[in-house]
Amino acid sequence: MTAPLVAQPLVAIENLTVRFRGAQNVHAVNGVSLTLEPGKVLGILGESGSGKSVTLKTLLRLLPESRTDIGGTVQVDGRDVLALNPQDLSDYRGAVTSMIFQDPMLALDPVYTIGEQIAEAIVRHEKIGRKAAMARALELLELVRIPSPERRLKAYPHEMSGGMRQRAMIALALAARPKLLLADEPTTALDATVQIQILLLLRQLQRDLGMGVIFVTHDIGVAVEISDRLAVMYAGQIVETGTVRELLRDPQHPYTKGLLAANLHGARKGERLEAIPGAPPALNEPPASCSFAPRCKHAQERCRAALPPVVTLGEGRLVRCVLAEDALAPA
Amino acid sequence: MAETPTLDERDRGGAGTPLLEARTLTKHFPLGGGAVVRAVDGVDFAVLKGETLGVVGESGCGKSTTARVVMQLIAQDKGEMLFDGEIVGGLSLSLKEYRRQAQMVFQDSYASLNPRLTIEDSIAFGPTVHGVSKQAAILRARDLLLRVGLDPARFAARYPHELSGGQRQRVNIARALALGPRLVILDEAVSALDKSVEAQVLNLLMDLRQEFGLTYIFISHDLNVVRFISDRVMVMYLGEVVEIGPVDELYDDPRHPYTRALLSAMPSMDPDNRTMEAPLAGDPPNPINPPEGCRFHPRCPQAQTVCAKVKPVLATAGEGARQVACHMEVAGSGHSRAPKLEEAA
Amino acid sequence: MTTLTEAAAPVVAPLAKSPGYWAGVFRRFKTDKVAVGAGIVVLLIILMAIFADYIAPADPTRSSMLRRLRPIGTPGYPLGADELGRDMLSRLIFGARLSLFMGVVPVFIAFVFGSLIGVAAGFFGGKFNTITMRTVDVFYAFPSVLLAIALSGAMGAGIANSLLSLTIVFIPPIARIAESVTTQVRGMDYVEAARASGAGAGTIIRVHVLGNVLGPIFVYATSLISVSMILASGLSFLGLGTKPPTPEWGLMLNTLRTAIYVQPWVAALPGAAIFITSISFNLLSDGLRSAMDVKG
Repeated sequence: MTAPLVAQPLVAIENLTVRFRGAQNVHAVNGVSLTLEPGKVLGILGESGSGKSVTLKTLLRLLPESRTDIGGTVQVDGRDVLALNPQDLSDYRGAVTSMIFQDPMLALDPVYTIGEQIAEAIVRHEKIGRKAAMARALELLELVRIPSPERRLKAYPHEMSGGMRQRAMIALALAARPKLLLADEPTTALDATVQIQILLLLRQLQRDLGMGVIFVTHDIGVAVEISDRLAVMYAGQIVETGTVRELLRDPQHPYTKGLLAANLHGARKGERLEAIPGAPPALNEPPASCSFAPRCKHAQERCRAALPPVVTLGEGRLVRCVLAEDALAPA
Repeated sequence: MAETPTLDERDRGGAGTPLLEARTLTKHFPLGGGAVVRAVDGVDFAVLKGETLGVVGESGCGKSTTARVVMQLIAQDKGEMLFDGEIVGGLSLSLKEYRRQAQMVFQDSYASLNPRLTIEDSIAFGPTVHGVSKQAAILRARDLLLRVGLDPARFAARYPHELSGGQRQRVNIARALALGPRLVILDEAVSALDKSVEAQVLNLLMDLRQEFGLTYIFISHDLNVVRFISDRVMVMYLGEVVEIGPVDELYDDPRHPYTRALLSAMPSMDPDNRTMEAPLAGDPPNPINPPEGCRFHPRCPQAQTVCAKVKPVLATAGEGARQVACHMEVAGSGHSRAPKLEEAA
Repeated sequence: MTTLTEAAAPVVAPLAKSPGYWAGVFRRFKTDKVAVGAGIVVLLIILMAIFADYIAPADPTRSSMLRRLRPIGTPGYPLGADELGRDMLSRLIFGARLSLFMGVVPVFIAFVFGSLIGVAAGFFGGKFNTITMRTVDVFYAFPSVLLAIALSGAMGAGIANSLLSLTIVFIPPIARIAESVTTQVRGMDYVEAARASGAGAGTIIRVHVLGNVLGPIFVYATSLISVSMILASGLSFLGLGTKPPTPEWGLMLNTLRTAIYVQPWVAALPGAAIFITSISFNLLSDGLRSAMDVKG
């Protein structure tokens, strides 16, 4: 296998739409396009219902296909993910792309030991014996820095603490040497002092193994700590992308600005917060105008009339807002 | 609040005296086989009138159990509480009367509302228990809905599942205020909300504090939020208070090694200056059979022999209003970093 | 807070009530075609039992030695005749009365007592719960059929006794469900909040517990109606329930079983009636359960 050209992105999502059919349709993702270079970390930031987790799950085709309509293209490492047949899909899952979750108790099987589960994941993708697989499992536990790994290899998930389980789940996800790791709020349920340990571990593993990582979170602090680039999602659309620095220092979209203010970092005591009023839309219809307009204090007539333009401010720096367009136009 | 707090006509001790004083509150939960969860173990603190006391700590530190004991949803094993100078559950302040004056808002906005009751019925329930007529209670409920930012004409007759999380939490706050309490315990009350909604609810809480002259106990795992809303902060670890003091002092200059670790575990919010090292290794231990001596000593980078043997007591440290439970703060404790005895003398 | 304590105008303006919980249940139930169908069948059977006097073409007890065991479709005997030459159709229609009665009444009485025991045990918890529920478990440990037969046998045959024994059989399962639902509700924050506002146990149970537990218990009880009918039929079949010549489906099945080789279709009719009724009750309770389950 020849190394892919540097220019080829690891992930290329083009105009992705996801609709859940039901008594009421839900348009969870509405035209998401994003790319990820190999070995980079993209943070997707959004609140509940923003479509961030759905986008992530599409990359592994984890959505229930019988009641989901998916449009657009999803390419990972040159594969057309949406077109994979069942055999290729199971080869793809784990070996090219794998995922870690918020709750390791749901991702780990309670009736097998940690060692058995990791070894099983290795054997599924590589032609090696049980013994060799167990040895690799031990290496993986050392890699995620679980103390006394020989003992943990024989432990069941419920016998471990929360942080340990999270490490075990990361080891399991890395079993088949994926090129892309998807992280769905993996630190949200953890205590502060444990969260930072897991973030640092993920950062180091990503650098050492040269993986691409897409990290979904609602916590802007966590996203800043781990990401190279950020994409802010609202109502199933990406409203702003850029490097972490760009988004933090010079946020353009009113929603991004509101999120940053709501983080309270540097908020002055006793002062009222500049809160975004209202709540996110219901998404029973695909958006025909700016989804954020009802909550936006800068909203104008044209925001409610049509979808806002996607304005390119620079390399990989996009904003979906008329204000950015105005700022670009010569005065 | 720095400004003079609006004094309640029910006030007895006067401004500046504690509204609630907890003395050696202790709550243990026996498990089978002789094991005991020491959820809250001899906790002392005071909440001043009109202030907001933030309570932080990680899972198993006992902050939620403390809240439930303060609310008397569970009885303490040891210790007592004084509310405005009177013993809670004593002769002059019955439990029922105390519950008019102290209320609680829970984390899960859905689970804390009866799904079969309309919003106004839920809010009106408390007052009717205390003898207010149903009609008057409903009117009060609608007035409170207005004050928490929900139009009664639209919301009063709705059911909880028809509301968003933020709206439900506003209803829970209105319900807590229906009895006209002086103390409100907010147990992770904004933690389950989305960030943009959380900011709205925090604004509301600040407005209500001003309007009704409330005193808050604000429990949260979010250190940013606690810093923003609190006047003083209490840090708990394994069922004990390790540090308590004015918020800015405590955040800018944490004295207890655990407080330091907790604060430096906060994400940096600075891409050029990311956190490079985790302040603590491993998970917070569970409060079953906690370690002897200082409970933090097995994880403390500055632990010495004395820490494993002698339990440090919460004592005033430095010149401020700060209290810290650490041998490094006590002269002559036997810790090499403790101030020298002659210096202190 | 003084502004709040004085209710200025003693007029509570009526507000447009939101559709509410039960309206939502009904709306979801309507979309469930199977459950609606089952509901209609149950309703028809109930109407049939009530108006049996008007519907039935013949006297269900009038026998004719000449017309014994006629096949289905015999003129004057649309569903044939039984071993004593009585009109099957009329007997089935009249039989619905006693069969329904034996299905619904024991379950209803057990619903009242079982809920009482279970809600009390669940709400008060502790030692009271342990003692009550272990006692209930002793009864629950017997297979329901055996328990019903044993109790009926001990008390003697007859409708009243089999009614009593069936009630006793159904109290333990209902009490257990009631206890587990109540324990769940008791742990909810809204019950805690009610306690925090100073309400006593009675008020909390009335306002916050019953409304949330009776629905699920009721649905479970509905599913027991079919069991009760079958058990009652079984008791009659064994001669412990209804006495001939009273038409009752179980008893009819019993007396016709000897004719299974002569007129298999006629002999199977009471069984079919029991089957259709009980499965309709089951589907109905399934539909109710899923209609009540949804939050939104």
